[in-house]
Amino acid sequence: MPELRAPDHEDSAQEPPPVLGRWSRLYALVLIALAVEIAVFWALTKAFR
Amino acid sequence: MSALDWAVVIVTLTTVVVYGVWRSRGERGLNDYLVAGRSLAWPMVAFSVMSTQASAVTFLSTPGQAYSDGMRFLQFYFGLPIAMVVLAATAVPIYHRLRVFTAYEYLETRFDAKTRALAVLLFLIQRGLAAGLTIYAPSLILSVVLGWSIHWTILAIGALVLAYTVWGGSKAVSYTHSLQFAVIWSGLAIVAVVIASRLPHGVSAIDALAVAGRLGRLNIVDPTFDLENRYNLWSGLIGGCFLAMSYFGTDQSQVGRYLTGRSVAQSRMGLLFNGLAKVPMQFLVLGVGAMVFAFYLFTPPPVFFNPEPVRAVERSAMAPEFARSAARQNAAAADRAAKAVALIAARKGGDEATVARAGQALERSHRDVEAARAATVEVLKRAEPGLNPNDVNYVFLRFVLMNLPVGIIGLVLAMVFSASMSASSAEMSALSSTTIVDVWKRWLGGGGDAVHQLHASRWITLMWGVFAVGFAEFAGRLGSLVEAVNVLGSLFYGTILGMFLTAFYFKRVGGTPVFISAILAEAVVLACFFWSKISFLWFNVVGCLVVIGVAGVLSLLIPRWRIVTR
Repeated sequence: MPELRAPDHEDSAQEPPPVLGRWSRLYALVLIALAVEIAVFWALTKAFR
Repeated sequence: MSALDWAVVIVTLTTVVVYGVWRSRGERGLNDYLVAGRSLAWPMVAFSVMSTQASAVTFLSTPGQAYSDGMRFLQFYFGLPIAMVVLAATAVPIYHRLRVFTAYEYLETRFDAKTRALAVLLFLIQRGLAAGLTIYAPSLILSVVLGWSIHWTILAIGALVLAYTVWGGSKAVSYTHSLQFAVIWSGLAIVAVVIASRLPHGVSAIDALAVAGRLGRLNIVDPTFDLENRYNLWSGLIGGCFLAMSYFGTDQSQVGRYLTGRSVAQSRMGLLFNGLAKVPMQFLVLGVGAMVFAFYLFTPPPVFFNPEPVRAVERSAMAPEFARSAARQNAAAADRAAKAVALIAARKGGDEATVARAGQALERSHRDVEAARAATVEVLKRAEPGLNPNDVNYVFLRFVLMNLPVGIIGLVLAMVFSASMSASSAEMSALSSTTIVDVWKRWLGGGGDAVHQLHASRWITLMWGVFAVGFAEFAGRLGSLVEAVNVLGSLFYGTILGMFLTAFYFKRVGGTPVFISAILAEAVVLACFFWSKISFLWFNVVGCLVVIGVAGVLSLLIPRWRIVTR
């Protein structure tokens, strides 16, 4: 087994994101942005067909 | 190429190399060389992750793909943001907590040495060969279009990359990525603006795109579910998500990029920014291709974008026949231009019946152009029987050289070189990290003090660089094998992802069932590749699910393969 370095960033996983305060909000933002993009591209596809 | 274009290329590339060497000075050991001392802020991580994925082929081939097949390729990226969220929530904290240098170290911690060795072997094979092709593919296109020697082009790209990657390792790679990112995307944005300004008087960018859309070039979203259709909404969302999870979560060329983040939060932000920016950025790349298509609706395009077979046929006895075929193609293109102008006039008039008639006339005329082009390609194929009729890779660069002003041409070439260097440097850095940590230190007893390890790492990076350049020099003789090597990644990614997802989420499954199921999954994926028509994006799903499913069943059936947790 490899000798892994002792974790010295134990609190690092709890560090909040620099924007929006919580990671769950940031994840939601990414997924909502994707949904909006697909909707816009679908509208573009139909408009320019 | 003009002196100004050469100056732009030379100044840009020299700046990149000097900047990379300068920013990585004072490195003291493996932690600095392999993961940049885990010191980088998230914008640097994000630029590095995005620059690694965007190779020169992205900028040379993707606009050509939009030109010939429309923008539906964008759907390939729809699964990526979902994958970024999953990885940010799961893989990033695990890798940071264990302070690993490579993703494969984690597999031994979680399973056993043989599972780690299998993943390392699969990675080194596919990424080692891919590193050569990352240099070969743009060199081939540049040499054909610009008349450069392919051997010198390969050597030039290889030497530029090695100049800072061997010396500075991961830190040099990350810092140069930020500069290359700026060159690439500012260059592309400038090209988009210049194309719009080169449209005929009275034709706006919206008009041009409307006409291109009428001919199927704005077919961005296709909601039809079809396993054999390479790009649709579902293959993009599901297959693309699995591919992105595998590439970003288990391929060291990407894992190595976000391990440089100075905390979990910085690495997470880098991935999530990629999730937000990737789809719009690919829209821009494909949009440029659609704009090139629109431009050539009003200006006759080259009869064949790859200039080499055209030059050859013009010197042969078939030159008169080729000239007649080319003239017919140009006449058809001129007729199509008139029909495109008529459609724009009809749209401005606002009468729907007139617009519909003008649209149908344009579609008929476009079919005539396609038929005339097919006839021209037939002549070229008779003159050169081994000719590849697909000239998609040459569309963008030919357009740039024939239509863009002096200075901008140099910027585009600097952009292509930068993209090639950014992808290659990350690959060489990853191959080097994996060889040092997972082979040299793990199996060959490598060690010594920090200075010795640093020197060994530099030698190993140099070795992989020489291998990549050597393979690139040899790739031209492989013929259709090059294509096979290109799909190699998709053949392995699903299996590797299955191993990692089992490690992350199925805590009771041990190493032996995962090892057995990985070998079985690889056989299933290869069977799909050789004997089915399933699109390659689905291979990632198949490989991954076989590993998880079989490993789960085996550990249920054979209790001694189960990990007992308290």
